[in-house]
Parts: sequence; structure tokens; C-alpha cells
Amino acid sequence: MSDLAHHDVHESTGVENRKLGMWFFLSSEFLFFGALISNYLLFKGQVPTTDALHPVQFYDIPFTSISSFVLLMSSLTMVLAHHALHEGDQRAARTWLFTTAGLGLTFLAGQFFEFSEFVIKGAGLDVLPVWSSFFVLTGFHGAHVFLGVVMLLTLFATSVRNGELSEAQGLNVELVGLYWHFVDIIWIVIFTIIYLIP
Amino acid sequence: MAENATMPTTKMYVRIALLLAVLTGIEVALFYIVELTAMTQGLANPLLIGLAVAKFLIVVGYFMHLKYEKPLLSRTFAIGAVLAGGLYTVVIADILLG
Amino acid sequence: MATTAIPPQEETPSAPTTIFRRPASTEGFWGWVTTTDHKKIGIMYGYSAFFFFLLGGIEALLIRVQLAVPDNTFLSAAEYNAAFTMHATIMVFLFVMPMAAAFFNYLLPLMIGARDVAFPRMNAVSYWIFLFGAIFASSSFLFGTSGAPVGGYLPDGAEWASRLGSMPNGGWFGYAPNSLEAFSTGTAMDYWAVGLQVIGIASLISSINFIVTILNLRAKGMKLLRMPVFVWMTFVVAFLLLFSLPIIAVALFMVTFDRQFGTVFFDATGGGDPVLWQHLFWLFGHPEVYILVLPSMGLVSEVLPTFSRKPLFGYAAVVFAGAAIAFLGFGVWAHHMYASGISTVAQAAFGLATMTIAVPTGIKIFNWMGTMWGGKIRFKTPMLFAIGFVSLFVIGGLSGVTHSIVPSNWQQTDTYYIVGHFHYVLFGGAVFGLFAGLYYYFPMLTGKMYNERLGKLHFWLMFLGMNLTFGPMHWLGLQGMPRRTWVWFEEQGLAFWNAVVTVGAFVIAASALVFMINWMLSKRRGVDAGFDPWDARTLEWMLPLPVPEYNYAKLPTVTALDEFWHRKYTEDEDGRAVRRDDYDEIVAQLEHEGRNPEEEIELPSPSYFPFLVGFGIMFVAYGVVYLSAGFGIWLMLLGAVIALGSFVGWSVEPLEEHHGGHDGHAEAADHEEIEDADAEEVEA
Repeated sequence: MSDLAHHDVHESTGVENRKLGMWFFLSSEFLFFGALISNYLLFKGQVPTTDALHPVQFYDIPFTSISSFVLLMSSLTMVLAHHALHEGDQRAARTWLFTTAGLGLTFLAGQFFEFSEFVIKGAGLDVLPVWSSFFVLTGFHGAHVFLGVVMLLTLFATSVRNGELSEAQGLNVELVGLYWHFVDIIWIVIFTIIYLIP
Repeated sequence: MAENATMPTTKMYVRIALLLAVLTGIEVALFYIVELTAMTQGLANPLLIGLAVAKFLIVVGYFMHLKYEKPLLSRTFAIGAVLAGGLYTVVIADILLG
Repeated sequence: MATTAIPPQEETPSAPTTIFRRPASTEGFWGWVTTTDHKKIGIMYGYSAFFFFLLGGIEALLIRVQLAVPDNTFLSAAEYNAAFTMHATIMVFLFVMPMAAAFFNYLLPLMIGARDVAFPRMNAVSYWIFLFGAIFASSSFLFGTSGAPVGGYLPDGAEWASRLGSMPNGGWFGYAPNSLEAFSTGTAMDYWAVGLQVIGIASLISSINFIVTILNLRAKGMKLLRMPVFVWMTFVVAFLLLFSLPIIAVALFMVTFDRQFGTVFFDATGGGDPVLWQHLFWLFGHPEVYILVLPSMGLVSEVLPTFSRKPLFGYAAVVFAGAAIAFLGFGVWAHHMYASGISTVAQAAFGLATMTIAVPTGIKIFNWMGTMWGGKIRFKTPMLFAIGFVSLFVIGGLSGVTHSIVPSNWQQTDTYYIVGHFHYVLFGGAVFGLFAGLYYYFPMLTGKMYNERLGKLHFWLMFLGMNLTFGPMHWLGLQGMPRRTWVWFEEQGLAFWNAVVTVGAFVIAASALVFMINWMLSKRRGVDAGFDPWDARTLEWMLPLPVPEYNYAKLPTVTALDEFWHRKYTEDEDGRAVRRDDYDEIVAQLEHEGRNPEEEIELPSPSYFPFLVGFGIMFVAYGVVYLSAGFGIWLMLLGAVIALGSFVGWSVEPLEEHHGGHDGHAEAADHEEIEDADAEEVEA
């Protein structure tokens, strides 16, 4: 992350460079996840949902609902971290950052458990194209969550080491927050389209 | 930052999260209503999609502060969403119907 | 981690945590490796791209030698496949795109009146990821294996020839299932898929960088509709990259997963859908066509007005036509797939959509002609290339319209007619435009003037060679000569034009040689270019040549489109442009001020980390290819450690080191005076 910061440089749009860059990046991510979701939609009708190998036969809706809820609540803790920093409450910000990372890890643990359950029951990358699509889609989403956790923990560590997050690092919290919420809204879409609509 | 004046408070964030939780609850409930009652999938699907869109917009608008940002950012974000929606709809339609 | 408000040094104890001592020198070899200067990065992009132009050219010559005579055995089928695959892959991804990136990097900040791009180190990272990705993809020549039968017919060249055959051989379009393991054994296509993935990351990063730079770093008064057309085309291209690269990223992941981890996305025997690959590839691939040609359209739009001594005719129309081409360009991908069995409705719809692209393109062509009309044209080399661009692009555009029509397309598809068409738009179009830019900006890069006679020789040879090579391909195609076939037979009666085409290819090669001689000689011994050698119109020519490291000693304030021209010229009572009375003083003052900044200018400091990030990513890429061989995982880990470690190192070092007694953040307060009229303008 870097930014040109000269006294005689101004932002013509009034939006900070890195924030603007992050929004453009997230916008392009729609095309990335859109392609992965399309794969699933294309292949899910290939075998009837009553087929024993169709993913619908494997989904554990109560379990996934809980992990979806966990990720949704991590968006709350994320926004509270940003809000606390905004109010100058460094301690609360640190706590919320750590909580968010923890909720993210919980979600990932849930995903790991879900994947292994599915594989034990006979699913796999090569079983059906719809399974390839499922694992690659949710896997890439998980990778995004993982990257977010790494960034959150980095911020947390910085906060612990320096005793506070500076104004510049505060912008980082905002940027990681944007990323984190984006990953959350992608899951909102996945949860409905993949799990709830057979 | 210009948006300070109208930014939500902690309390509001919690309320928004509660709303999101309730919406998620309705989604899961709908899933079981279809399983257990006479409600058809065709009726439930638009509701499910509507709920997902609502959650999506709430997170984007309040948690990502898009509601309080310059329109430039909303447009930026909308381009990707609309483009992805449009292009992939055509691909899926062509492959499944073609 | 510098931002608007740089924290005082005691708050961020970054110095002890840095692994290396920060590079201080901007000279010599390490000066290039560690640079964050957009001009140096642009030059590195340019030279790297030209190197790959030569590689891709050699492959083209191999193809043409093989096809010069009937029943030829110069190359084996496998070698031929590898040659045309790598020719296209290199020319598209490793020559035209990075050469355009060279211009973006070098010119963008100069044209909008900025000191650098928005994210200087990200910019360096883009270059190094590109370079290491390119090295990785090309190294398939050394390490790749392909299951295709090898064994060359080249005298005493069996070893070399079989190496050639071990490069990626599934076409630049990588159609599945041919690109999957069943048909492409060995590692060749892994190199292709992973290499493109890496190069795509580089382009994605730079596209965000350019968009933010254009939106945020414009000088005072540089409203969006005062930006040079080249900046506009850069903007449009960056959007195309931003939204098309994620699609190809997914497609390449899918093919890599199919090959490495046994997914069945494209494997029809496992239930997969090969046509899905075509959709995803061309969803990216068609915008890619405009990614290749729009930069050249931008360059030509700078060159034509300067050498016609007239403003660009219909500036706003050219800008909006460029944006319209980009927008429509996203909606026509399936015209590459008429023969793949897509529905009739889709064929009709995509055929119509494709035809509409001719409208904004035509608007541009007429505006360029309107620019030249009635102008005092100076036929310098850049102008010749620009005119060459316009005329050849018209031919390529028109033949393109012929295959938007579905039944006509069925006749043409997979014949040499298509090859002729797209070389007219990509060689006659994109490449001619890039050469126009290279000559036009040669004085800015070097402070010297190129040799005009050699330049004109280059143009005429290339123009002749280009038409000899690609013109007859249309006829060969209409006669039924298929593309991607390694041999043709005597009885087909294709001998004459194939011989002509091969001669033409060698004429192009000779013209490239003339260019290189000119470049090297002029760089060393050319005459001094002086100040503003072209009597140009746009902001960047207000700078002394070669451009100082800090670009503008004092950031300019812009009051008009073609700012520089308006500072030099005014109108007489008949509306003719005449030099202002104080022309000499204005020019002398600009040159003097440009070389003598009044205050110390802080520039982003050099850094090792962008280079190391790219270096690490290359190992990750090798690791993916050799995952199944076992040691791949270790290569991946090694690369990940290097890349991630460099990111950490990067994030703890500030963007710029502050020099003695100069406390940067004291001035940060000035920064608050932002938001001029431009902010509202963007929102409008």
C-alpha cells in the first residue's frame, strides 16, 4: 500500500487515493465472483436435485446458517472497530479488530468442517461439474476471508506494538473494513443462491 | 471528512445488525416453510432473492458507508455489479436455453 | 505507509524493522531495479516489450518460412503449433500491452500535470510482476514439456527444434478441451495458463493505479474534458482491464484446476462444458481487442493535430466514441463463437451488436480525417505512421464488418481471411500507432532527435511489408486456406500468394532492423532536440527535454484544452493561429523555470520491495506448474515467503524518506485545500 503524499498534490475528486483504488478493486471483484457463481448456476441443473450426488443432498442448512450469521456479525464488529477509531477510542478499536478476526477464523473453521463432511460423504472436485463449481467458488471466498483475517491481525499487531493506530493506519482500518464487508456481501449472495435456493 | 455529521452511532450499527439478523432468520425460515408446507419454490425464490438484495444494500449502504459517500463511489461500485449481472445472465441464458 | 498526514518519525519507528538499508542512489543498475519513478518504469516497460516484439517476430518468421512453399518440412506440426501459439501470446500480452503500458506510465503524469502516479510503488510492482511473469511464461522454452511428437527437421537443430515444440501449443485462445491434460500433456499449457494469470495480476494493479491517477492527480484546472485524448484512452483502457481481467482470471484458474486438481469444468466426458471456456475467454478476449488498439488511437489523436497544426476535430466526439467502443466492446464477445453452436437468437443479437461498433469507430476515423483536412501537414515520421494507422485500420475495420454477418462469418471462420483481418487492425492499427508514439516522443525520452531519413525508410518498408504480408492473406482465406495448419499442399494452388506473404514478413523484419539502428544511433549521436521540437499542443511538451526527474518544477495550472498551444498562440482577426508577440519569452521562461525548481521537491524514494514481490511471485508460479511433481509445493512456499515478506517490508517503510531538516508533515496542512470545481465535475 502506498500513496503519493506531497504537499502540492491534491485529490481532484476529494476522495482519498487509496480509498478510491479500493472501491475500484471491489467493483472488479464482482466480475470475479460473478463468473464463479455463474459456473454453479450453469451446472446445478445437470443432475436432478433428487440425485444422491447433487450438492443439495449434502447441505446442512442449520450449520451453514450459523456460520453465515457469524460472518454477518463480523461485519458489525468490523464497523464498530472503524467507528471506535473514528471516535478516538483506541482500546475498543483494538478489541473489535481482534473480535472480527476471530469471527472470520470461526467462519473458516466452519467451512473446513463443512468441506471435510462433504468429502467424507462422497463429494469431491471431480465428482460432478457442480461440485467443481461449489468448491472453487466457496474456496475462493474462503481465501478472501483468510486474506482479510491476515490483514486484520496485522492491524491488531500494529495497534498492540505501537499502543495505538495512527491516522494513516486508521485509513487502513477503513480500507480493510471495506474489503471485509465486501467479502460479507458476497457470502450473502452465495448463501441465498447456493444454499437456500435448490 | 464531510460525512461526520450524519454517520451512524454505535447504537444504530447494532440496530442495523439486528435487522440483518432478523432478515437472515426470515430467509432460513422460508427455506423450511418450502420444505414443510405447500408453499412452492417458485413463490419463495423471489422473496429469498429480495431478502438477499435487501441485506446486500444495507451492508453496502451503512457498513461500507456508501450512503454517506460521494456519488462517484456508488457509481464505481454499481458499474461492476451491473456489468457482472448483465454479462453472466447472457452467458447462462445462452448456454442453458441455446 | 505514507499518506496525507505523514506521522512524525518518532511515532513510527520503522527504520529498525526494515530488512535492508533503503536504497539511496537512483543511478546505475540498482537505480533501475529499485526505481519508483514513473518515467523509468515506463522506459523499462518499453524496452522489455520491444525485446518480446523481437521474440514474437522471430516466431512469425518461422511460421512464414514453414508456409512459404508447399509440403514444407522446416517445422514439425508440434513446433508449428507452439510457434503460432507463442507468437500470438507474446505479441498480445508481452508486446502490445506492455508497450502501451510504457506510454501510459511515461506520459500519464506528464499529460495531467502531476509528479508521479497515485501509487508509485504499486506501479513498480506492476512492472516487476509483469516482467517475472513474462520470464516465467517464456521459460517454457527451456523447461516446458509437451506430449506432442517432437523432433525437428531443421538441419542439425533437433535439440533446439524440440525445445521449440515444448512451448505452449494450444493457441493464444487456449480452447478447451484441447488445453486440458488429455490433449495437452506435459507442462506447456500450465506455463501458458499460469503465466497469463501472473501477467494479468500486473495489469489489474496498474489499471487501478491509472484510474486513480487520472481521477485524482490532475493539475489545477485540468478538467476531465481538458485532458488530452491519450489520457482519455488510457482511462478507458484501464476500465476495460479492470472489468475484463477478473473474468479471464477465473477462466485460467478453472483450466489450471482442471489440469492440476481434477475438476471437470471443461471436460465433456466428466459433464463439463467446453463452450463455457469460449464464453469466458471471449468475455475477456473481445474487450482485450480494444485494450490493444485504444492506446494507439490515443497516440494518433495526439500526433495528427500536432502535425496538421490544427486542433483535433471534434475532441468531445472522439472521447465519447472511445468510451462507446469500450462499452459496446463488452457486449459482442459471442461473435467469436458463431461456429460453436450458440443459439440463432444469440447469433442475430451479437451480429447486430457487432455492427453497431462500426459507428463510433467511423466517428473517430472521420474526426481524424477532419483534423488533417485543410491543415498545414508536416509529413514527419510520426505523422506518416499516424496516417498509416488511420488508413490500415479502416481496411481492417471494414473486413471486420464483413464477418459480423453470421453466414459470411461461417465461410470466413478458421481461414486466413480472419488472420488478414486482425493483422490489419492489430499490426496496421495498434503497432503503427505505437511506432507513431515512439517517434513522436523520442525527443522527450532522450533529448535528442531521431534520424528523419531512417525513420521514413522504416515507415515505407513497414508499410510495404505489412500490406504484402497481410493483404494477400485475405485472398488465401477466400481461396479456402485454413489457419492454424502447419502445411499446405501443392495441389491447393496457393503457391504464389504464400510466397508473397513470406517475402512481406521479411520486409517487415528488415524495417524493424532499420528502426533499431535509428534508435540506437540517434540516442547516442542524434542532434539536440531543443525545447518543444514539434511545436506541440499539450502540457507535457512544456517540459525541458529530457524531462527532469521531478517532471514539473512548479505544477501547472490549466486553463484550456491544448494548454501549451494556447500559451504560445493566439488568433488574428481572421481567426488564423498566430504566435503571440512574446512567444520567445514564454518559451525561454518555461525552459528556465522547468530546470530550476524554486523549492526542494520530494519524490518517492526507491525501494527494493516491488522487485522482490515480483521475484517471489515467479516462484509461486513455478510451484503451481510442478505441484504434481512434489517439489512444486516447496517452490510455492519459497515464493510466498519472499512475496509476503516483501509486502510486510513494504508496509513498514514510508513512501519517501525525508531529507535533512525538512519535516514533511509540516506541509500536510496545505493538503486540506483540496476539492476545486473538479470534485463536482466528476459527480456531475
